[in-house]
Amino acid sequence: MSEFRLGVDVGGTFTDLVAIGGGRVITAKVPSTPADQSKGVVDAIEASGLDADAISALAHGMTVATNALLERAGAKIALITTEGFRDILEIGRQNRPALYDLTQRPPEPLVAREHRFTVRERTGRDGVITPLDEASVDVAIEAIRAAGDIEAVAICLLFSFEYPEHEIAVAERVAAALPDLHISRSSAVLPEFREYERFATTTANAYLSPRLNRYLDNLARHLESAGLPEPTVMQSSGGVIDIASAAANAAKCVLSGPAGGVVGAAWLGQLSGEADMLTFDMGGTSTDVAPIANGEAPTTTDSIVAGVPIKLPMVNVHTVSAGGGSIAWADAGGALRVGPASAGAEPGPAAYDLGGERATVTDANVFMGHIANGTELGGRVVISRERAAEALEHLGSELSLDAEATARGIIDVANTEMANALRVISVARGVDPRDNALMAYGGAGPLHACALAEQLGMTKILVPRASGVLSALGLAVSDVRRDLTRPVLSGLDAANSATAEALYDDMIAEACAELDQPDIERTADLRYRGQSFELGVAADDWDALAERFHDAHETRYGYAMRDDPIELVNLRVTARVAVDKPELSEAAPEHEPEADTRAVLVDGDWRDIPVYAREELGRGSRVVGPAIVEFAETTCMVRPNWHGEIDAAGTLILEHSA
Amino acid sequence: MSDSQPTLDAITLSIMARALAGIAEEMGAVLIRGAYSSNIKERRDCSAALTDANGRMICQAEHIPVHLGAMQDSVLAVIEKNPVPGDVFMLNDPFAGGNHLPDITLVSPITLGDDDEILAYAVTRAHHSDIGGMRPGSMPADSREIYQEGLVIPPVRLVAAGLDNDEIMSIVLANVRTPDVRRGDLRAQLAANHRAGVRLRELAEQRGEPTLRAAFTDVLAYTERWTRHVIAELPDGVYRAESEIEGDGVTLDDIPIRVAVTVEGDALHVDFTGTADAVAGNVNCPLTVTRAACYFALRTLLPADVPGNAGAYAPVSLHAPEGSFVNARRPSAVVAGNVETSQRLTDTVLLALGQATEVPAQGQGTMNNLIIGGADWSYYETLGGGQGASRAGPGASGRHVGMTNTLNTPVEAFELEYPMRVARYELAYDTGGAGQHRGGDGFYRDIEVLAPATLSLISDRRRHGPAGRNGGGNGQPGENRLNDELLPAKASRQLEPGDVISVRTPGGGGWGEADKR
Repeated sequence: MSEFRLGVDVGGTFTDLVAIGGGRVITAKVPSTPADQSKGVVDAIEASGLDADAISALAHGMTVATNALLERAGAKIALITTEGFRDILEIGRQNRPALYDLTQRPPEPLVAREHRFTVRERTGRDGVITPLDEASVDVAIEAIRAAGDIEAVAICLLFSFEYPEHEIAVAERVAAALPDLHISRSSAVLPEFREYERFATTTANAYLSPRLNRYLDNLARHLESAGLPEPTVMQSSGGVIDIASAAANAAKCVLSGPAGGVVGAAWLGQLSGEADMLTFDMGGTSTDVAPIANGEAPTTTDSIVAGVPIKLPMVNVHTVSAGGGSIAWADAGGALRVGPASAGAEPGPAAYDLGGERATVTDANVFMGHIANGTELGGRVVISRERAAEALEHLGSELSLDAEATARGIIDVANTEMANALRVISVARGVDPRDNALMAYGGAGPLHACALAEQLGMTKILVPRASGVLSALGLAVSDVRRDLTRPVLSGLDAANSATAEALYDDMIAEACAELDQPDIERTADLRYRGQSFELGVAADDWDALAERFHDAHETRYGYAMRDDPIELVNLRVTARVAVDKPELSEAAPEHEPEADTRAVLVDGDWRDIPVYAREELGRGSRVVGPAIVEFAETTCMVRPNWHGEIDAAGTLILEHSA
Repeated sequence: MSDSQPTLDAITLSIMARALAGIAEEMGAVLIRGAYSSNIKERRDCSAALTDANGRMICQAEHIPVHLGAMQDSVLAVIEKNPVPGDVFMLNDPFAGGNHLPDITLVSPITLGDDDEILAYAVTRAHHSDIGGMRPGSMPADSREIYQEGLVIPPVRLVAAGLDNDEIMSIVLANVRTPDVRRGDLRAQLAANHRAGVRLRELAEQRGEPTLRAAFTDVLAYTERWTRHVIAELPDGVYRAESEIEGDGVTLDDIPIRVAVTVEGDALHVDFTGTADAVAGNVNCPLTVTRAACYFALRTLLPADVPGNAGAYAPVSLHAPEGSFVNARRPSAVVAGNVETSQRLTDTVLLALGQATEVPAQGQGTMNNLIIGGADWSYYETLGGGQGASRAGPGASGRHVGMTNTLNTPVEAFELEYPMRVARYELAYDTGGAGQHRGGDGFYRDIEVLAPATLSLISDRRRHGPAGRNGGGNGQPGENRLNDELLPAKASRQLEPGDVISVRTPGGGGWGEADKR
């Protein structure tokens, strides 16, 4: 009987699985298989113990595209662009990456100079200026053929966002001559103005698609031979799509991994009645934070991934390179610093006793008693408080501090870095963190959540039961999603609502052809005339558009110019097909939970505080800080003045009493 | 640093340095997001900073090096006017705290409570794309006195004790070609200054006012310690270098620059004795620009993560003969000093320091200022070129180097906004100097005007290519053309529809001998 929906998330270290069906939630965790991530997927399904015929759907999150971009290990590609504009990708926005380091260079473009070809043509704001010279296209085709091993080509012409005809003609000619090549054209990948960002996004799509295509093809065959359904793939936007679409639009999947976690956090927040949250996913080497508004993960279109602007809808994840493994150090000016260097998994923090000698954030947590001496991690590592103390003493001696002050300092400095990351996604965008709950997960998130919330004035924290497999959970509950966009670029007053309606109808028809009766959300990107950054607002009511834009501008930037003319830049449609969301029901504990006690450094005093095992707790169990709750894959430090209980969805809800 | 208070521990210092830098970054984000003009929004030609009550810069959002260290002069000029809480001062006078007229600076005193003494100043500076004067864009290549370059604003209250001074605003708007855009940009600057006050008060609440005050002193001392440490590593000595600016817009003659940099222990003295007197054209620098150029050169020697604040300048002393073209007096024209002479001063100081330590080959050394305007529009852009190569590797192509780092205007945004068309925008291959590591290439930016317009072109490195280093070849000088006519480094012209301006920017110098490649 097919009843289980699966989410399988491939991370750097582990491949996680969550299966939901018939009121049950099953989880599995197996080592990732970096050489071929699809093997880990099959392993995880085997480890779950589910029969193939019990599985109705499988959503997949992966890092294949992200890693290929980070490691510059994508396809060998060519670029066809407008004559006179060969090097837009290399010039970029002409700024240097570091203001004062005169030796630092920007990342190399994804297409080498010798594989950038031009064709004679030009369109401008009013249409064709120079007709397409087909002979020049044939010259480019021959050059690509002569280069030998080109796998994909990006076709990027000026003003194609408005006039795609030349790009389409070039694409058809290339496809006819070189049928095995993957083709990405900018008017299809990102029909929006500003050539560098459009070209870079399109080029990334060409660069990543052949590799993603091979991977997904291989995965689908593995799953098919095991009698499993064809998977859907998580996009950066937080919705899943069929594998054929994903393979052809690899640039839409560069944040496939983190998107699952944010969607999972949004859904769990809804179950606990929290619509506005900031997520805090702290791992070993990095920390991801993201806003949740009105119960959903909002998307942004100005992300830069691995040095490449990808202007496609992505969950608004902000990453800082600080995590449990971040190394603390004393700088030449006499300040204590944390990161960005990380001890990684090998040798890891000093407390792992695998040869690491430098104090890390984890060592500070071990020393302070947040993580118990002797804790086993992944069956291989046994935490040594002695090693942690040695490393802290060594660092402290450089700063004239004892180990205790050094440990407290490391936590405080790391939390300041995290607080700044959370401000980037909240305060800097006009959102007050005090109006939001903090959703903490990942291996180290719940350890730091209380102290971090206190720094930001936040008074509510959510720690979900599935803290260690939240991304996989998010996959299992993700809607199918398709995002479309059309450029407009005209004054809002001049923009004919009938014309806009026709464009919306066109997009909706396209979405309905691909998805089964989707829910449609219409938005528009607007700006004041002369501005060059746009704000997206809901566009279900044409007459309310101007007012909504003024309000959104005021929220985001602190002022509105209500008498000034507004420009309409893009129309967008998001089409969704909702999947059935399961019930999560936490049982009441079988007996009154018994707490151990442990000595923990709390605000400068060593105190014996209660330590609960999360499995011993259940719906309605109360926790009063200071206390520690040990989850399967993380530990929650409940500081003084925080108290809470486990709700019906199994989430620990902590509140601060001033 | 004699007024030292209880010194913060290593942890609090680290936290406060990061939190203060976060405030400046947030100010910069508010300004860029809220601004109207593409010059600020797209190109980020602006900066934001906090100073202490004495005008010493505590932290800065780093966008444009030429604003480095120059913003504290604005605060010092404002302090003389007895600011009170709720005031916001506006200024652009290069001889009273400004650097050149298009850069308008807003300074707001910050207090913790309404009746408290002033704790700090919030400062934002933005390059406005027109401030009046003889030519659209307010960057005339042929100005001979400052009055031709635009409206001169001494420090005045744009907001007085919380009340908007609409009359001052109306004077400004009556003197500029694009008043709506000016108003929008100034509003964005006001919003950014306002945000600084909100966030600084929050920080005082969280960490306590004594800690905040101590942090001001300690972050300066921290950066100063680090800077002195770096200077002390340089061998003591007097290092001399010479260079030139290729004409002042009035004559084509080279204008000599001479510098002697003295390293003595952990202090640095920069002396421009022997540099030319102020010239008739507009490449003169007010002292504040010369100082910023010297600070930049020093800053490139420091590790990247040293917080940028006034502590880095404490070990530096400067002598620029009064009345010379690196310390010009009113009413000298100065608009190009900020954008071109500053580049060459940096090159020359680094050439001198290069005798004491490792430095890269020279980059393009110009901003290639291109200003085109008509009756109701003005376009201003600076163009990237070749970066100098170094021991670490080749120079990047088509980059901004030195005292600026502004973004380009996308071709599609450009053509949607202006009656102009880009005919060519691509790299000029092999214009970078040869070497074991090649210098970066310059690029071509060719623009056809579709309506009558005025051109101002202010550039340099059209005769003398950027120097290679360690045996590397020089970069190729740039070239300016109007149709078939070769233009000098600085030029002003009337343009008719169909005219094509073609700029090829210089390549960067190479590093190491080419046969070792």
